[in-house]
Formats: sequence, C-alpha cells, structure tokens
Amino acid sequence: MTMLAAAAPDPKLAAQRLKRIVPRTARVRASTALLVADAVAGIGFAAGLAGAVVAVPEGLGAMVPGLTLLIGAGSARGLVAMLAARVGATGARTTKIALRRSLVAVLFERMPGGAATTGTLIATAVDEVEAIDGYVARFLPARHAAAIAPLLVLAATALASPIAAAILIVTLVPFVAAMILAGGAAADESRRQFVALSRLSGLFADRIRALPILLAFGAEQRETDRLARAAEDVASRTMRVLRVAFLSSGSLEFFAALSVALVAVYAGFNLLGLLPVAVPEKLDLARAFFVLALAPEFYLPMRRLAAAYHDKQAAYTAVERLPERTFAAPVGRPPALTLAAAPHIRFEHVTIRYDDGERPACRDVTFDAEPGSVVALVGPSGSGKSSLLHLLLGLAPASGGRVLIDGVALEAGTTLAGAASWVGQTPLIVPGTLRDNIALAWPEAGTDDLCRAVRAAGLAPALAQRGLGIDSVIDARGGGLSGGEIRRIALARALLKPSAVLLLDEPTAHLDMAAEIALIATIRAACRGRTTLIATHSARLAAIADQIVTLEPLA
Amino acid sequence: MTPLARLLAEQRRRQRRLLLRAAGYAALVAAASVILLGLSGWFITAAAIAGLAGPVAAQGFNYMLPSAGIRLLAILRTGARYGERLASHEAAFGALAQIRPALFQAIAAAPAARALSFSTGEATARIVQDVGVIENRFAMMSAPAGLVAATVAGTILTLLGGWAPALATLGCLAALLVVADRLASRLEAPGRAVQRATGALKDEVALHLGAAAELRCYGLEDWAATRIGEQSERLADAARAQAQVLGWFELAQASAIALAAGAAAALAQGQGAAIVALAALAAAMTIDGAAPLVRRLAQRGMVREAEARLDTLLETGPVRERAAIALDRPTIESDGVMLAPGARILIAGESGAGKTTLIETLMGLRDATPGAIRIGGQDLADIPPRQRRTVFDWAPQDAALLSGTVRDNLLLASPQASEADLWHALHDAALDERVRRLPDGLDSWIGENGERLSGGERRRLSLARAYLGTAPWLLLDEPSEGLDSATERTIALRLAVRLSARGQGLLLISHRPRLGALCDTTLRRRPSGGWTEAAALPSRGIDRHRLETGAAGHASGDSTPSRDAPVLV
Repeated sequence: MTMLAAAAPDPKLAAQRLKRIVPRTARVRASTALLVADAVAGIGFAAGLAGAVVAVPEGLGAMVPGLTLLIGAGSARGLVAMLAARVGATGARTTKIALRRSLVAVLFERMPGGAATTGTLIATAVDEVEAIDGYVARFLPARHAAAIAPLLVLAATALASPIAAAILIVTLVPFVAAMILAGGAAADESRRQFVALSRLSGLFADRIRALPILLAFGAEQRETDRLARAAEDVASRTMRVLRVAFLSSGSLEFFAALSVALVAVYAGFNLLGLLPVAVPEKLDLARAFFVLALAPEFYLPMRRLAAAYHDKQAAYTAVERLPERTFAAPVGRPPALTLAAAPHIRFEHVTIRYDDGERPACRDVTFDAEPGSVVALVGPSGSGKSSLLHLLLGLAPASGGRVLIDGVALEAGTTLAGAASWVGQTPLIVPGTLRDNIALAWPEAGTDDLCRAVRAAGLAPALAQRGLGIDSVIDARGGGLSGGEIRRIALARALLKPSAVLLLDEPTAHLDMAAEIALIATIRAACRGRTTLIATHSARLAAIADQIVTLEPLA
Repeated sequence: MTPLARLLAEQRRRQRRLLLRAAGYAALVAAASVILLGLSGWFITAAAIAGLAGPVAAQGFNYMLPSAGIRLLAILRTGARYGERLASHEAAFGALAQIRPALFQAIAAAPAARALSFSTGEATARIVQDVGVIENRFAMMSAPAGLVAATVAGTILTLLGGWAPALATLGCLAALLVVADRLASRLEAPGRAVQRATGALKDEVALHLGAAAELRCYGLEDWAATRIGEQSERLADAARAQAQVLGWFELAQASAIALAAGAAAALAQGQGAAIVALAALAAAMTIDGAAPLVRRLAQRGMVREAEARLDTLLETGPVRERAAIALDRPTIESDGVMLAPGARILIAGESGAGKTTLIETLMGLRDATPGAIRIGGQDLADIPPRQRRTVFDWAPQDAALLSGTVRDNLLLASPQASEADLWHALHDAALDERVRRLPDGLDSWIGENGERLSGGERRRLSLARAYLGTAPWLLLDEPSEGLDSATERTIALRLAVRLSARGQGLLLISHRPRLGALCDTTLRRRPSGGWTEAAALPSRGIDRHRLETGAAGHASGDSTPSRDAPVLV
C-alpha cells in the first residue's frame, strides 16, 4: 500500500476489479446514450450548416430553417454534454458510495495486522475511492460511445455520399492500425510513466513527513539535491515516454485530418466534375457540404476516449491498492456467543498470523482464565497482547491452536463480541451528550442504569467538579476532557452493557501516575463478576490481576 | 510579489524558450484550424458553384491552390499540435524538476515550528496535491497564444464577409469568456465544499477505524458504517455539485460555437454562398480556439487555492539570522539548572509536562522562549536552529524513518560514515544481527517509515542513527519503549561504554528504570515549566544556581565533565 514500493501494476486484475464495482445503477448506459445523442446533434449541426449555405442565393429568409437547425443542434450538443457531465457525476457518486461502503465493512471486519497505519487506511477509504470518479463519469461512457457513435456518423455520411463514407472507412484502417500499434506501446509507457510520477510524489511526501528528522541531522540540502536528481531523472525519462505517446496520438490525428482533407478534396473535385476516375455519384452542394462538416465528427468519439485515458489510469492504480475482499461478495457478520455468567476462557497453543505479516503476531500461547478472574497479558509491544484480545472478537485470525469457552471450542467465525465489553487506548467519542456516548453500548438502558454506570466508572466527581451532568454536550475530540476521563467514559460504557467478559487494551497508557492509580482502583471494582483480560505495559495495573501471562517477543 | 509567485516567475524565465515555442505552436494550431475549416467550406461551395456554371467555369476554377492548402493546413495542424504538446510538457517537467526541490528547500528553511506540522499525513498529502496543481498550470500556459491566433485568423476570415460577421464572432467570443469567468467564480464555492467534505470524511473514518474493537463489542459497526456513509454521501454530493458547474462550461462553449457560426452565416449572406460557408466555419473554429483557455479558467479556483496554501507555507516571515556562535561541548542551562558537558540526565515528569516539547525546542523544531534555556551561556532563542542541531544527536519518540534502505537512514546522520561505523552503530543499538539477517543487509528496503520493521526494530534503527552523529549531546526520547528486557539491558550496557568513550552528554526521557540507571541525575519537569528536584541518584556534573545570580560565568563549559563509571544495575 506504499506509494514508493508500488507493486508491479497488473492491468488485468484492475480491470476485473473495476468491472465488479461499477454497479448497474451507475447509469453508464445513460451517459453513453447522451454521448451518442451528441453525435446525432453533430449530424444535425452539419445538416443545418449545409442547409443554410445552400439557401444563401435565395435570401436570408430561406436560410432561417438551416440556421435554426444549426443553432438548435449546436446548443443541443452543449446541453447533451452538460447532461452527460451530470449523469456521469451521479453515476460516479453511486459507485463511490457503494465502493466505500464495502471497503469500510472490510476494514471493520478485521484489524489489518502490523503494517497499515490508520493514516494509510484513511487514505485508502477516502482518496483511493475518489480516484475512480473519472473512470465512471468519463472513461466508461466514452468507451461505449466510441463503439456506436462513429457508426451513426458513417451511416449519415453514407446517405449523402457513399464514396465519402468509403473514404472514412479506408482512413479508419490506418487509424485503427496506428491505434493498435502505437496505442498499445503508448499505453504501456504511459502506465509506467504514471507509476514513476507517483513514486516521485511519494518521495517528496516522504521527505516532507520526515522533515523534523532531516532538520535534526542537518540533511535538508542533501535531501533537496536528492529530490532534484530524482525529479530530473523522472523529467528526462518522462519526456522520452511522452515523445512516443504524442507521436502515436499525433499519428491518430494525422489520419483524422487526412481523412477530412481527402473528403474535402474529393467533394470539391466531384462538384467540379474533374475527378480523374469515374464515380457512380454526382454530389450537390448540400450533400457535399454536409459530408465535409460531418467528417471530423467521425473521429471525435475516439479522440474523446483517448482524452479520458488518464482517468482509467488513475482508477486502475487505485483499485490495485484496495484489499481483495472489497471486491468479493460481503460476508455476514460472524455469529456471537451469548453467555449467562462469567466464562472460563482457555487459550490453547494459539498462533495469530495476519495475511500480510511475514511473522506471526504471537505464537503458541497457552493460558487459562478462570471464571470471574482477572488475567494480565504483559510483554513488549509487538508480542501480540492486543491481537489475543482481538482474536476473541473475530478481529484477528487464529492461524493455529484454539480458544475454549467453558470447555467448548470457539468455532471459526464465532466471536465473544456479544458477551464482551471493551476499553481501549483511544475510546470512541462522538459529538453529543455524555448520555449519547455511554448509551451506545446498551441503547435499552434506562437513566438509572446509566447513572449507576457513570458512578461505577468514577466519572461522578469529575462531572460534579465541572458542573456537568449526564446530558451535557461533549465535543467530538473529547475536548475539555482529560485522558483519564475519556477512559472512564469508555469504562462506563463497558459497565453499562451486561457483559460477562471484560477486555481492556492498555487502558492506562499515556496517563500520569496519579490518574493511573485512580483509574486502576476503578478498574479493579469493574472487573468483579466478569472474566477480565487486560493487555498492559503497566506493572501497577498488572498487579491487580489474579494471574499474569508474559508474552515473549518474537524474533 | 509572493514567494510562490517569485518561484514561478523564475521557472517561467528558465523555461522561456520552451514556453515561447509552445505558445508559437499553439498559435499555429489555432490559426491553422480556423483557416483549414474556413478554406474547406469556401472550396466546396465555390467548387459547387463553378461546377454548376458548366465545364468551362469548372476548368477555369483554380482548384490546385485551395486543395493543396487544405492538405498543407491539415498536416501543419497535426505537426504543430505535436510540437505544442512536446514543448509545453517539456517546460512543465523542467519546471517540475525545479519547483519540487525549491519548495522543499523553502519548507525546510521555514521557521522550525512548522516542520512538525508538516509531518502529519494529511498535511503532506495536501502539499503534494497542491504542487501537482501548480505543475499542471505550466502545461496550460500556451492557451492565451492559441486564443489570440484563433481570434486574429478568425477576424481576418470573417471580415471577408463584412464587418458584421467579424463583430458577431468577436462578440460571441467575448461573451463566452465573460460567462466562463463567471462560472469559474461560481466553481470556487463547490471546490471548497469538496475539500471540506473530504476533511470531514477523513475525520469520521479515523474516529471509527480507531475504535474497531469497541464497535464490535457493542454491535455498533452498522451504526458506524452509516455515519461514515453519511459523510461519504456528503462528499459525493459536493463532488457532483462541482461536476454540474463544470457541465455549464460545456453548454456555454457549444452554444457560443453554434451562435457564432449561425450569426456569421446570416450576416455574411450578401457576400454569396462561398463566403457564407467560409465565415460560418471560421467563426465556429475561432470560438473553438478559446477551448484551452476556458479549460484553464475552470481550474482557476483550484489553482488559486493551491497557490494561496503554498504561499502561506513559503511565507517565512522575518527570520532572525544570527551569527554562528562557538558551541564546542557546551553547557545547558534551563530554569536555574546547569548541566555540564558529558552529564547524563534522566528527564522525568508526568505525561503532558512538556518533556518532548523541551527536546524539540532544543532541536530547534520549536521556537524557544527568550531567557528560558541557555546553551554554552548563549540564550537558545539567539542561536540559529541550524546551529542548535549541531549540539545534539536525536532519537525522536516516534522513531521516524525515511522510506529507503537501512543504509539511507543511517547515512542521514553522517554521510561520510564508513561501513565499519555503520555496523558499529547498529551493534550498539543491538540491531546488527537482525540487519545481517535481512536479505540485502544494509541495503534492504525498509518500506515507508520503516513499515517492514517491527516497532522495536524501528526504534533501534533510529537509535543507531543518533549514535552515528558526533554532537556533544545525545537526546534520546523513550529509546527502549517496547523492547524486551534482555535487549534493553544490552543497549544500556553498550550505551554506557559509548558515552564514556566519547565523553558525550545524555538527555534521556524514559519510564524504564534500566536505562534511567545510566543517568547521574533525575530532573523532574513540572507541568507549569521549571524543574523539581528529584535526584534519586547522587547529583554529579550538575551545578544548581539561580539565573539571576549570573549564569554567564558558567558559559564556556569549563566545569569538569562527569566521566565516572556509569551506575548500572
């Protein structure tokens, strides 16, 4: 998922994925129809122009129908283009919302192990999804229209002059040949170019991110030079690539221009009756003018497609970075166990290995948590403490061993989530009242239950001190609340839910000593009657446990 | 002139030849298009009239010149368009190769406090996008030349039909530009709305993804997905609103073409069919020549905002450049406490007491309050940040690493370091064995911010990097967080040897007793600023006094450095 170490792009995979995510409701057909309507309006424009020119000798009045058609069809083109932009944007909107929904579901389903930081996930969920906008709004309709619209123009041309139509077909052959020969190579080059540019952006972004370090070691000039060299390199390589790409698009244009010129010269000579060979048709001004005005329209859809190529490129790059499961059928939420009383939990030779990790998060962990007891999991960061807690919630994969709840193995896909409460380092705080925030855990709870939970979590004194009540509004960032108070809100939430299992992930991290000691006392009371697992670095917190399990770091 | 405008002006100067060439080609393309279509229309119509007039008239019709002209113009236009693309992109990439390093240099030279604000992912992404927008602008610089050429060629051709068609065409062109300008202004609000919605969505995603376990326990995933979905819809709505305004540009452009062609045809009626055809097609292509400029107008709001943001980034303000001061093995004084060179100090204090802030201030990454800290007797606020940094080798709390190899990261601290130096530093950070096992050793790729390493390995690499410096003081911010106790012991032992051998001073932030035991003295930071005495260990190498009783006397680092055997467990 890193910009710098971008995996080798696989256009086939990207194409498959894109096919799966563009829903029927994306209205690609509607925007395609509008682009085809644009070609029809183009035919009208040409007819109007021809009609007006032919009518010139008969006076301005005779020109009116032609001029009306000309202006009407011309404006209609604008209207159609505007509608195409709207429909395309609506389709892109539908696609992005749907893709983001399934992506978010995948991200919630399992904590990505190790590498992916929240920052990367946010970029994935927001920016990568936005990158498919142009693909749906512009590229797809342009591609479909490119297969239909030229045929319409050709048919209209053939009605006026079959030979002009034949000229268009004949020039289409080298046009298509150039497109296949040069286009394939150019597309390949352009993809590599896209990757090179995004790597350069990646380097730039990385060095800005690491600016404090660069400054600290006085390396700003060295890194500026490095950036300059990388940019020079990309610039010179890019120009080589672009020369090829422009040459190929130039050859396409050349054939397009050539065909227009051929049609013009043919029509002119036909009208003069000076053609060197005999042809079975005799044009008049109206038909000649019509085919001339129409000739550029024949190539327009293909040129529009070429212009949207960048949108396709961006979408391909983006979908390649999304997790595979985003594109699979959604799996249902795993069934959750319900427990009447605090259970016995046994971890038996448990190994957790995330998909992308080269080594397991934890290996061969075995311990027992007696019903209603408190177990502290200690060990260095990266020894898998949090992963073991996540395993019980189905957020981490069990790659070996098993977990027994009251002697019954927790089947793959079953979780303890329904019977468990959670307090972590960064509790969820949403804008709203304290009541809203706490009641999230158990919406059925009455005011009495809420107040009991607030008291049990030790929030009452802090609230009283600030003159706050359960209906006071707290802001999104938890502004005005101390780190300890935010943990206590999470604790109140955990206590409100009648759960048999309590899972605490570093509940006292980043608190000062006084706050930690106060919170530990509350936690100790909260554990009563629940089987409790605490992942912690704090010896003080671990001291309240009935049992301490030390996890070894994995080399 | 804003700093960015200066930067861009300089690039325009550098790329002038290419930009001129691009403008010339653009003019050629536009003029050729107008003449090509006008001439074709005239040719067909005139040929038809001549053909109708009988074989003699047809034979007398000079068809050679126009038909050759048509072919020539078609080829000329294609060639010129190729030349225009090549020149404008070459100019853009040339500018790109200069603008990024120049911007980076300017950002690095900005007041240090800013450096920290750039290191968040969001800020970085913003800068990268803005630079992309600016670069794009370079590739579109030839648009006005095309417009001018199309206008001149179009006016000359339509004048063949009289004043009226020419004026009508110019009127349509002017109207289009006015409308496009209005639309560009109308596009600014939706553009900003898209940006705000993007920010809000990122916040919402961050809020919920950070609490996945909590959501799972309380069955709140659907609720959270709905909330994210709402923001997602808001962003999609904003993007659609933006696209809808862009649609109006299309309508304006197409209507202007149709109106110009129609008006020119009607007004040239008196000049005969051939001239009508010429005027109508030339008028249409004149308006078409404005298309690149209209596209550029559509991006105006985006470019302006990007420029404004980059400008605030480059706004360095008055930098007080001070003369360098001799700082060889200097003392450090803070709030009445003086640290002698070579002292080993454990900085304690509650979270939030400002320990890391203190270190970042020493490193010149935050502005120093005048009078608060003195280094070598000089007020820290008077020492240029660049020079402050030569006093310290730093292993930051977040153990930030560069995308690159192990070697890239180590050489950052000391570009001239030998292979042996690198391995020695890695050895002292207890990372040498792990690096030896990596597939490419020192040249192994460690990923973005070291993502291929574990948290503890990243921390040790950051430590090894700090070891490679030669500054008189070592600043270690939580260097052993997340390390197992055996590794921590190894690091502590090797650090003690290292410090003794080099006479380097140590400022250490750590909760962990084993590393803390390396220090002579513990200073506890009060949240209100200043220190409380918390010297659990005998104070050696430390000299307490009141600032008001004259600190200058202690300035030159003449107190004997403490090189006693380290206190180790």
